[in-house]
Amino acid sequence: MTGATPVVAGISAIEASLFVFVVLTALATAFARDVLAAVIIFGAYSLGMAALYTFYRAPDVALTEAAVSAGVTTVLLLLTLAKTTRIDHEAAFESVNYPAAGAVGLLFAGLAVTMVDVPAVGSPDAPVWGNPDVSQWYLAETYAQTGVENTVMAVLAAFRGFDTFGEAVVVFAAGIAALIVLRREVFA
Amino acid sequence: MSDASGGEASDPADEPARASAGRLDAETRQGPPYTESQVIMSTVKVVAPFAFTYGLFVTFHGGGSPGGGFQGGAIAAAVVFMIAFAFGIESTRQWLANTVVVALAVGGTLVFAGLGLVPVARGGAFLQYDLLPIPFLDPVKYGMEAVEIVGIAPIVSGVLVGLFFVLARGFNGEGSGSPIGERGYLDSEGDEESTDGEAGETGGAGGADETGEVDRDGGSAGRSATDGGSR
Repeated sequence: MTGATPVVAGISAIEASLFVFVVLTALATAFARDVLAAVIIFGAYSLGMAALYTFYRAPDVALTEAAVSAGVTTVLLLLTLAKTTRIDHEAAFESVNYPAAGAVGLLFAGLAVTMVDVPAVGSPDAPVWGNPDVSQWYLAETYAQTGVENTVMAVLAAFRGFDTFGEAVVVFAAGIAALIVLRREVFA
Repeated sequence: MSDASGGEASDPADEPARASAGRLDAETRQGPPYTESQVIMSTVKVVAPFAFTYGLFVTFHGGGSPGGGFQGGAIAAAVVFMIAFAFGIESTRQWLANTVVVALAVGGTLVFAGLGLVPVARGGAFLQYDLLPIPFLDPVKYGMEAVEIVGIAPIVSGVLVGLFFVLARGFNGEGSGSPIGERGYLDSEGDEESTDGEAGETGGAGGADETGEVDRDGGSAGRSATDGGSR
């Protein structure tokens, strides 16, 4: 994936092994026949992604990925599996579904073509970084305007606070929806 | 809403059934039953305080380091999951009552909405922090911290713990009390639920059967409850 992009600084060994780990766990999740195994491998995939995000200096995203995706989602999926029937399989892996594999391959090829135009990781010329009206403005103004150092939190809670209110209400609504779907009046 | 109190009152009556229904070890089809593992229990005892403290740190220190209410709330909820896996879901449920979970989720939403609406009442925009009446402190900074700590983190932790408990109980499991449909203020398609719950829900959302006969629905919903228990 990174081979198509002009990488500025090169890829370190840890980064490369994380990439391999993430790709392997993603494939294993897709091909694992046992749902329990797939859920556990998916948790490992999320942990690898969290490590990668840390590498690319997005610790807020990494924390979210580790806590929500690797931790909470895995536990909730395991719990759902415990409440349903788990089928024993002879084979460890699914056989390849060729039409599906072809569709995925086409999608991958389409995305790979666009990778050429994606700026390199950490490139100072990337529009998302070099834009003086958005990224640089937030980085320069966050402390002066809000008094906190974490720009991500300032954007979430102050500059885009109304969006975050919507997100929080969505989380709240998810709890209500679970109660309605499972026909309960209490979380018990 | 008087029916709601009736549902609460019926809960302690079938406590033994609840105790066996909600736990991971209740399902005999899951192979070897849950046993209290000394290793897991001791590990969780050691790890849980540190993990919970880290969740609080991520929440409270979100302004100066990575993190915030979403992440901290999720970590705090993960600590509850950990405790539930080590010591059993039912005992965790008794320790962390429904009231606490609901208070976290509802209270967080109300606090967030209130912090947004107070500036509106004072003639500003929604969430315009500098109009918050916070004495001696920077209202913008501490308004944001309040949203993260008292608003978002409780919502996330409360809802996640609630999802965990309600998923652990499952759909129409033993001792769940009568489904809402039987209490007469919602129609229920019992026939469809007994086979596949999800399909039944989407069918109900479609609205074709929303006006279905109450008599038929009540009877079949009761049958589906017993089906769910024995399945």
